[in-house]
Amino acid sequence: MFRQLQARFGGPLAMAIVTLLGIWLIVMVTLPQLQMIEYSLKPNLLPAQIGGPDDRFTLANYATLFDNDIHRTIFFKTIWSSVLVTLLTLAVSYPLAWYLAKVATPRQAALCILLLIVPFWINEILRTYSWFIILAFRGPLNEVLMMLGLIERPIRFLSGNGGVMVGMVYAYILFMVFPVYNAIESLDDNQVRAARDLGAGTVRTHRRIVIPHAKPGIATGCIMTFMLAAGSYAVPALLGSPGSRWFTQIIYNWFFEGGNWNQGAAYAFLLLVLCIGFMSLVMKVFKVGLGDIGR
Amino acid sequence: MDGSVRLDEVVMRFGDFTAIEKTSLAIGSGEFFSFLGPSGCGKTTLLNIVSGFLTPSEGQVFIGDEPMAGVPVNRRPTAMIFQNLALFPLMTVYENIEFGLEVRGVDKRKRREVSERLLALVALEGSGPKRVTELSGGQKQRVAIARALAVEPRVLLLDEPLSALDLKLRQHMRTELKAIQRKTGITFIYITHDQGEALNMSDRVAVMSAGRIQQVADPMTLYREPATGFVASFVGENNRLQARVTDSEGERVRLDAGALGELAGRAGRETRLTNGQAAALFLRPEHLRPVAADAAGPRLEAEIEAVHFEGAWMMLETRLVASGEKLRVQLGHEVSRGHAGAFAIGQRMTFGFDPADAVVLPDDGSPMVDEETGEVVDGDRTKAGGTHV
Amino acid sequence: MSSQRFLAFGLRFYVVIFFAYLFLPLIIMAAATFNDSRFPTVTPWDGTTLRWFGELAADRGMWQALGNSLIVAAGVLVVAVPIGIATALFLNTVTSRAKPFLYALILSPLLTPGVIIGISTLIFWRQFGVSGGIFLTVLGQATFIAAYVMLMVTARLQRFDRTMERAALDLGASQWQMFRRILLPYLKPALYSAAVIAFLQSFENYNTTLFVVGYDTTLTVYIASKVRTGLTPAVNALGLTLILITVLFAVVYELKRRREAAQLVKGV
Repeated sequence: MFRQLQARFGGPLAMAIVTLLGIWLIVMVTLPQLQMIEYSLKPNLLPAQIGGPDDRFTLANYATLFDNDIHRTIFFKTIWSSVLVTLLTLAVSYPLAWYLAKVATPRQAALCILLLIVPFWINEILRTYSWFIILAFRGPLNEVLMMLGLIERPIRFLSGNGGVMVGMVYAYILFMVFPVYNAIESLDDNQVRAARDLGAGTVRTHRRIVIPHAKPGIATGCIMTFMLAAGSYAVPALLGSPGSRWFTQIIYNWFFEGGNWNQGAAYAFLLLVLCIGFMSLVMKVFKVGLGDIGR
Repeated sequence: MDGSVRLDEVVMRFGDFTAIEKTSLAIGSGEFFSFLGPSGCGKTTLLNIVSGFLTPSEGQVFIGDEPMAGVPVNRRPTAMIFQNLALFPLMTVYENIEFGLEVRGVDKRKRREVSERLLALVALEGSGPKRVTELSGGQKQRVAIARALAVEPRVLLLDEPLSALDLKLRQHMRTELKAIQRKTGITFIYITHDQGEALNMSDRVAVMSAGRIQQVADPMTLYREPATGFVASFVGENNRLQARVTDSEGERVRLDAGALGELAGRAGRETRLTNGQAAALFLRPEHLRPVAADAAGPRLEAEIEAVHFEGAWMMLETRLVASGEKLRVQLGHEVSRGHAGAFAIGQRMTFGFDPADAVVLPDDGSPMVDEETGEVVDGDRTKAGGTHV
Repeated sequence: MSSQRFLAFGLRFYVVIFFAYLFLPLIIMAAATFNDSRFPTVTPWDGTTLRWFGELAADRGMWQALGNSLIVAAGVLVVAVPIGIATALFLNTVTSRAKPFLYALILSPLLTPGVIIGISTLIFWRQFGVSGGIFLTVLGQATFIAAYVMLMVTARLQRFDRTMERAALDLGASQWQMFRRILLPYLKPALYSAAVIAFLQSFENYNTTLFVVGYDTTLTVYIASKVRTGLTPAVNALGLTLILITVLFAVVYELKRRREAAQLVKGV
């Protein structure tokens, strides 16, 4: 590998490339992850106890999750809600991606893409905060609903999971729209026309032609959205209530309130395993490889 | 400034595949030398070995008698004109031409002088400040030439540089390239699969096939005295008739062509033929002429299948009555004029030729080559002949 | 046929609703800035005021956090952009059986939740006595932002005609001169884009930053803490200001990018 780099860029530059890549992959990516795993397998000890008889590998930190009913419930709720967020985001994004790729004129599509990008240049916190205002007990949504006579008294949107999920769909929609759009766009128009000609209806055309073609894009979108949802801290922290906590909040508490980093590391690793598991599952179901994810 | 190039037993292998069989060759300083061959014959590989992009598996390259082993691309006294020209799109014409001087640390005033002089040479005065993306195909071509000349190479390597141009421009650039070569006196090594280009411009041409040089000669010799069956069918058009030598005496050869009866020809130069040997008789279409059915000398009876009238001459596609082989016949203006109204499809005619024009070469089973594409067309022959081409 | 038309109309209607959903929250937040109410809301409207901007300008904590954000973003640029370029060059050059594995490793920071990158960075550096702060924030953010830079540089590098490199060497350039004069200028547009994206990613990052920022505060962390604690429309004023700056930024960037793309098409 180094020889190829040297042949193209010469010794010093090849050296610089390998050094930068090495620092990144080893010092910034791999070692910290390994250290986190090691932490998760050690008990939380006082400095004096480190190296002592109690300093040995144990699965106790992982067992905590299964002993603690609340944590376990929140863990599974996080999975379930993230899956739900992913599916919702896909459902919301797909028609738009289809419109952008195949229905809109090039000018319309260009404008829409610009409009799509602009809000996503804005801070995730601010985007979430704007929903905080809308969903507030005395906020505009409740006012409008009451004005329309749909409800008689304001609803506490911010105390359940609903607010969190609405905020998440909003926050991560772009990560779904773009991969799906790119995938649909590469579909040959004639295939759609041929399907229509052969008498396939809208639903069948999408199910048999468009969706199979867009699979890599859908898989990428789902993986990204799930990862962002399951790993989100901002949205549940802002739009959730103590009753609707997210797994990331528990991890945070172990670190900065419980002061038990080892326990936190174990939970963090579980979250990572969860994301890798979801990713593998999606890649298997959709039969796509890592190469398709590099957008 | 010695721009001679010498290849000494050069071999190039990529894994198990031998791209260049053992090749030795000397190109004189100031010569316009072409490598001609179908795609995949190894000519580009050879060019890359001279330029230093590839290191030969065996053998040595000398430029002006200096061994080039261990001399990297950027230190060799060569400059290359790439097939796609590879002009630097983000730079102006000036910057492109001066790039080679700039990296050598030549000061700006001196650089500008050189580029102005070269722009004059390639007739692009005043285009210096333009971006290369603003130029036409022919202008880009000239910039590429000027850029290569700016580094004062002893050898200029040209990798099919005209292939991207349209026909008219291509023909014009041939004349210009030749003129530039004469003016600068630099050795030109030119790679092409277009025999027109090679024959037109070169002092000498090396015809290549399957990693091996078939013949090195000046264009006229190449056409008149092909050394191998491959050269005979690749350079210019040729009819090829299978036969067996019955009698050879000096140059003159008698042949038994089976159903076609007895034919006569002239042994290729430096060709040794023995009686009974399988041979091929090469007949150029323009050497055939209509004769009376009972005329003396070799005769071939054929049926006309298609007629292509081209103005100054006409091409007949015929099929030999006796053997069913194809025979192409080109008739000049003066011949076709005497036969007004004749040459109908289905008509049978007898053609004769002067045995001195018909070259006989041992049947080496060399592949047939498609005139238009330069691709080998006869699959079976390629396979059978591949080992000893 | 009429059902087809109905569907087409439905789709258009959906697109309109979609964009309303996209922009309405931002508009409401912006509007709340001008409401003379103690809480950030648009209902009820208590009169129009600009005082929240004044209050924001007087907030020293905000200025401090903004300064930190800019320092972190600059640090991330310095670390992530060279790493991203190096990685893209590496992937573009090397052919090896280990490449799929390396590629997975290179992409992994993009597929790892931000909180985990923050946590692992925090844990790793503790053994060297480094605790949360600006330094770790830079490292943590750069870990995944470098991968974004890599993707953007790779996209452009894949369209690079390597004959240019050969031409430069053939004309006598050293490999360094080739890199400096040919490859780097070619990559320049992608590097600008990558720098802009890296800056923005850093500036708005919360999940990773939260774990590694220690007692320092970046603007995003500051806003989040304001939202959860002392909530006043001054946060909206800050949000609106940021929105206006980013929108301006985004539109300029997008238009510039499109012009370049159009030029590229014309040039070829």
